[in-house]
Amino acid sequence: MNVLFAITTGILFGLGAFQLLRRDLIKAAMGFYILFTAINLLFLAVGAFDGVVPAYSTSVAGGKTPSDPLVQALLLTAIVISFGSYAVLLGLISISSRRYRTVDPDSVDQLKK
Amino acid sequence: MNTFNNPLILGAIFLPIGGAALSLLLAQNRTYQHFIGLLSGIGAWLSTLGVLYFNLTQGPQVYRLGGWETPYGIILVPDLIGSIFGLMASTVVLGGIIYALGCKDKCVTYPVFMPLFLCMAGGLHGAMYTGDIFTLFVFIELMVMSSVVLVAISDNRLGVEAAIKYLLISALGTLFLLVGIAAIYATFGTLNLADIARKLASGERPLLAQAAAVMLMCAFLLKSAIFPFHFWQPDFHTTAPTPVHAVLSSVVVKVGILGLIRLTNLLFTAEAPLIRSLLLVLGLIGIFFGSLAALRTYDAKRMLAYSTFGQIGFILLGIGWGTPAALVGAVVYAFNHALIKSSLLMITGAISSRMPTKSAKLADIGGVGKTLTLANILYLLGGLALAGVPPLNGFISKVTLIQGGIDAHSFLPLILAVGAGLITLLYMIRTWQLMFQQPPAPELKVKPKGDQLFAPLMLISLCVLLGIFAAPLVDVATDAVTQLNDSQIYITSVLGH
Repeated sequence: MNVLFAITTGILFGLGAFQLLRRDLIKAAMGFYILFTAINLLFLAVGAFDGVVPAYSTSVAGGKTPSDPLVQALLLTAIVISFGSYAVLLGLISISSRRYRTVDPDSVDQLKK
Repeated sequence: MNTFNNPLILGAIFLPIGGAALSLLLAQNRTYQHFIGLLSGIGAWLSTLGVLYFNLTQGPQVYRLGGWETPYGIILVPDLIGSIFGLMASTVVLGGIIYALGCKDKCVTYPVFMPLFLCMAGGLHGAMYTGDIFTLFVFIELMVMSSVVLVAISDNRLGVEAAIKYLLISALGTLFLLVGIAAIYATFGTLNLADIARKLASGERPLLAQAAAVMLMCAFLLKSAIFPFHFWQPDFHTTAPTPVHAVLSSVVVKVGILGLIRLTNLLFTAEAPLIRSLLLVLGLIGIFFGSLAALRTYDAKRMLAYSTFGQIGFILLGIGWGTPAALVGAVVYAFNHALIKSSLLMITGAISSRMPTKSAKLADIGGVGKTLTLANILYLLGGLALAGVPPLNGFISKVTLIQGGIDAHSFLPLILAVGAGLITLLYMIRTWQLMFQQPPAPELKVKPKGDQLFAPLMLISLCVLLGIFAAPLVDVATDAVTQLNDSQIYITSVLGH
């Protein structure tokens, strides 16, 4: 299971970093979100034990390993935050694409002047 | 073990956030909104002052949210250094709110301005007070998101571009922070700073923990705009509205500084010599790059943003030397720099608000302040304080820092830093002469009314006061450093044994 997580996280990281470096702000924003998804998977993978049943439930008494609840709590927080940042980023890109008539980051360069 | 939950700690964080919620409800009425903003700013300031007082009398304060046992629940631990940084933040935030009340910018009249500003303040105070590494991430994100939106709604049309740039770069910093947190959780199974410190001190030190140190350090360097992660700062800070710029350039960059202090003095004490020698080099680069770039730049606001690199470099030198005297220097320097830099930025903003185009370009702004005696005196005082001329507080911070350098027997960085400090005098005096001493260009139509100068007046008076009566701040900083060097005090006050 851990190997699967490691490979998936690695692939998502690579994809995200590649998209972030594209010359297109919308694709860069997607890369931003893919990177956060990779981190979320990483969080799930570092949980203390690979449980199959929820913690604090009656089935724990039945001898099954519970899953780690803390990483799930962290994960929920991280998902909400990354989702909010993604929404704000897309909103800003929408404003700037209307103003500059392009989403090429090399053409959005008024600050350099 | 201190089992008392001090409610003042919550006041510093949740008064601004509650004020933000309330002022969103009253979005239709700007007077009520500004009144609530001012009220919660004053409340947060009094709370941070109270937290500092309780720290001095009773030792580190702890708030266990939800009443969970310590290694498990979320806790807020303002120890002495945290509460000094918290007081610094809330003072500048209060100044920023007061400035915003008298600000002529259009963005200040938007109904979202005050809620966002208060959210930023709440995140800032939370990041200074938290004793939990994941809560640190949450508060930093709250601060970053509100400041990004505040810059995007700025009167400066380039704000949106700068906001996109910063949001993407800051996301990378957040990624570093999250990977560091994941690595720490995988290694130690805890997120509590005191618990991590105790486990690290027991000699348990797998490779993953050192990787986490690198990741956390990258994140903090990025948040503080330190070389090699500095490039976003001038654009992002210069396009911000003036009250936001004052808060960003003076206290938001200090969050990373506090993180670095915690990293070297609480968590990774065994790796600290390595981290410190790196910080020393980065500090020297920052001092030279910042001072020279400030000298060669074309815009009064941008010059101060570049000068922040240099000033952060001085603080890094103090952390890098790492002896108690040098750390006292770093803490005093950080506190004084926040007051000086925010007031200078507010005065520059007030001057450029009288320009028809609101620009602060040195080519246009010449002589605009010729008739403004108060701004003239305040800017001169602030500039001299930034350069470290007695009897202002900048002099005290330079002296404590130099004492630290002598104490650490590190003379080459010391000489370089003192030499580069003179460049500060050069660019501040040059800008002061340009803005206030020469007659304005004849075709320039200076507006009769601009932003109010009450907030910079308040902050500069604090600067003068802290220059003349420097002993309290230096004493408190000395106590804080004594507490820092014995990380057992922090661990015991959180975990109890």
